[in-house]
Amino acid sequence: MFQKTNKQPSGGLKIIIVGCGKVGSTLLEELSKEGHELSIIDQRSERIMEMTNMYDILGICGNGASYSVQKEAGIENADLVIAVTDSDELNLLCCTIAKRVGNCATIARVRTPDYSKEVGYLRDKLGLAMIINPELEAAKEASHVLFLPTALEVNSFAHGQAEMVKFKVPAGNELIDMSIAHLGRHITNEILICAVEREGEVYIPSGNFILREGDVVSFVSNRKVAREFLHKIGFETRRVKNCLIVGGGRAAYYLAKELLRGGIRVTIIERDFKRCEELSVQLPKAVVINGDGTDKELLKEAGIEEAEAFVALTGIDEENILLTLHAKKVSNAKVVTKINRITFTEVIDNLDLGSVIYPKYITSEAIIAYVRARKASKCSNVETLYHMFNHRVEAIEFKAQEESAVTNIAFKDMHLKKDLLVACIARKGSVIIPSGDDCILPGDTVMIVTRHTGFNELTDIMA
Amino acid sequence: MNGSIVRVILGNILKIAASFLLLPLVIAIGYGESGWKYFLITMLIGWAVGILLTIRKPKTTVFYLKEGCAATALSWIVMSLLGCLPFYLSGEIPSFIDALFETVSGFTTTGASILPDVEALSHGMLFWRSFTHWIGGMGVLVFMLAIIPMSGGSNINLMRAESPGPSVGKLVPKMRTTARTLYLIYFGLTIAEFLILLIGGMPWFDAITSALGTAGTGGFGIKGDSFASYAPHLQVTVTIFMILFGINFNAYYFILVGNFKDAFKMEEVRAYLLIILGSSVLIFVNIMHSVKGVWEALNQATFQVASIITTTGYATADFDQWNQLSKFLLFLLMFCGACAGSTGGGIKVSRFLIVGKSVKKELGSYVHPRSVKKIQMDDKPIEHDVMRSVNVYFATFMAVYVISVILVSIEGYSFGTNLSAVAATINNIGPGFELVGPTCNFGFFNPFSKVVLIFDMLAGRLELFPMLILLYPAIWRSRVRKLMIQN
Repeated sequence: MFQKTNKQPSGGLKIIIVGCGKVGSTLLEELSKEGHELSIIDQRSERIMEMTNMYDILGICGNGASYSVQKEAGIENADLVIAVTDSDELNLLCCTIAKRVGNCATIARVRTPDYSKEVGYLRDKLGLAMIINPELEAAKEASHVLFLPTALEVNSFAHGQAEMVKFKVPAGNELIDMSIAHLGRHITNEILICAVEREGEVYIPSGNFILREGDVVSFVSNRKVAREFLHKIGFETRRVKNCLIVGGGRAAYYLAKELLRGGIRVTIIERDFKRCEELSVQLPKAVVINGDGTDKELLKEAGIEEAEAFVALTGIDEENILLTLHAKKVSNAKVVTKINRITFTEVIDNLDLGSVIYPKYITSEAIIAYVRARKASKCSNVETLYHMFNHRVEAIEFKAQEESAVTNIAFKDMHLKKDLLVACIARKGSVIIPSGDDCILPGDTVMIVTRHTGFNELTDIMA
Repeated sequence: MNGSIVRVILGNILKIAASFLLLPLVIAIGYGESGWKYFLITMLIGWAVGILLTIRKPKTTVFYLKEGCAATALSWIVMSLLGCLPFYLSGEIPSFIDALFETVSGFTTTGASILPDVEALSHGMLFWRSFTHWIGGMGVLVFMLAIIPMSGGSNINLMRAESPGPSVGKLVPKMRTTARTLYLIYFGLTIAEFLILLIGGMPWFDAITSALGTAGTGGFGIKGDSFASYAPHLQVTVTIFMILFGINFNAYYFILVGNFKDAFKMEEVRAYLLIILGSSVLIFVNIMHSVKGVWEALNQATFQVASIITTTGYATADFDQWNQLSKFLLFLLMFCGACAGSTGGGIKVSRFLIVGKSVKKELGSYVHPRSVKKIQMDDKPIEHDVMRSVNVYFATFMAVYVISVILVSIEGYSFGTNLSAVAATINNIGPGFELVGPTCNFGFFNPFSKVVLIFDMLAGRLELFPMLILLYPAIWRSRVRKLMIQN
């Protein structure tokens, strides 16, 4: 017992999180799992109490933008400050002060559309490492799905060159009872199936894995091939023509803007009249309806039965779930649900809601990718990170910047960890689905799918 | 209740406690005493039971406040049961309840002894007695947190249950680093005292046991007259170190990281030093005529005040012979106790400060009925929860105190004996007045009273609630039901 255990979480970063709301607490949960030294600052002492009881962290009660409070939280030695309070202005102020006092990296959450147009400018001038906008990210994720409605989820990698698409195998599909190897030989070998969820279990399949009805399959390929493949196996792949959005918050604004740009007709239902007016000014092409989105007749009037897509973006999770279930009943629309707060993911998964978006997870994934990149050495960098299937699988994109132990070796000669897949390599604008003869070159972007957690560097893939 | 995690914690505590026995084992072998084999036997028992308890992994590692409290209280009981075995097996303390009383008194840093003649004990046993103070002073669960990696943040519940004070916080984000820092400070100060005493001409065995006893604010001496026969400069050294160990360890941490401003600004530490100064002066004036020599009177007054307020319990004079005023002042200081976050016992200066401030606020609200005032300490508002817990603590403390006095009074000893015996044990001091005065011992009580006093010592050290929660039926209900279904 007295022998020294060197397995102490090696060199965790010192991170201060200001603001302990939904995103703040999700970040706490994720980052404390990765072994960092965390301090939190919040004005509400009961919130601090709750969090310090749950995680191994230091809690400070006070205004996060105040110098003395930051000092108490250990700003002088901090590596990173993340400001995720409710107020954009406070977040920016926190980061500006932290930058001056502690000379650390800073991340701010900025949500208001007023600022979001100036994100690049703000980031450069204030010296922030990153500005995150969960509503914008959520809207982007929703729009990905609406542009490819057969998919449950679409995540993009390598700046949009590669996509990871998740879909459910419906009854009577030709994929049923087909092995992965057979699929590769006879349908297309330009895609790679990287994870399959079946009855609550997640598999990283090998060649002789046989697909069944109801499997939720994630595959990686480049954008064009993904559509061709889905078309070949009998899915509709054209984008939706119109979309009905309930709830006119910030996420709705960003989503409507994205959809309108893609030529999709948008109808927004919002309860607050003043907000309706604002939206109609900001989005002149959209139809804005003032009314209660939970009113069945109003939904009918707004054309729910003919809608090809239905997105529930109200601030109340329960309302969103019920709206989605209702929409599924009365129409054939592609449905997307936003869940802000509820943590009963197991229950939500069983409801068959189709595509579900969790803004808080999207935000924390982006931040964790950044944190891991900071922790890693120079030769590789985490670019993006997605948690799939309730955090049981991680998809990570690395940038191989320099020569390292994993570059210039063919995969068949490399000793990889179990439960791990090199899903694709993006090299000079093209996406390669790697075979045993391929290898990683410096400058490549490599995407890894794995059931292990906590990869910081590309060399972590070796056993 | 999550029983499996409690079981694993108990197992780990047993292993740690058994490992600590290595030191007295070495001392006993060094002195060529036959007692070493009893330490070895106890060590083997501790490790065997500990391994048995930890061999199965807990189902979940999550635990809440109730598990934290129950684990802490049970750990202290189990540890005491193990720790008393060397005394009992070797026959140096023939009665089991006496051996247990002595060990609990050691771990809880009380220093109340049942031994009529301390000097008859072998070196190994004497060292173990003093070493229990050191282990119990900072707390064995904090030690466990420092060395065993535990996942999750719920382990703050363990520290909260074991560390004294109205609100327990961390120094740095990681529990483990906090626990290590505390032990580092503790260890450093102990070594410093040991070296100074050694340079001052104390024999090394006396120096090490005195240092261990002071560090834990325990009070077991290795001489029959406690500290009276040592040279005055050694007494002054011990006085200073007693006061130092009664200071909130956060202050040392601030000094360690170079933040002197915050260290000297701590209201509690200031109040604590003021109380020591004030009561020393009063007692000094009061006993000046009865003691020959002004310096001697000053030395005696400060030593006794420091010893009682930090709840150490060393003595350089038989303060039971002093005037009523001095005696009563010392009696009050027993309840006052040291700072929160120190190794001392008692109710703690910070609680008195908070209560004092709320009385002042109450008075203010009579003058200006609609005035709003938030009570502050160290320039920070005190949360309603902390206020409430302090008030409840006072009420509970008085209840436990009164009930204990009633139970001890059944035996029929004098009023002062009963009052001070319970006060000296529940506040973890050691000597009281009259029959339990500094020149006497607790050996004469019957086993029932001793059990009451053992409970008081544990309750006082763990700040009541962890011990009381063991008596609360809801904690056990699910366990009992499970047992009944199994049968």
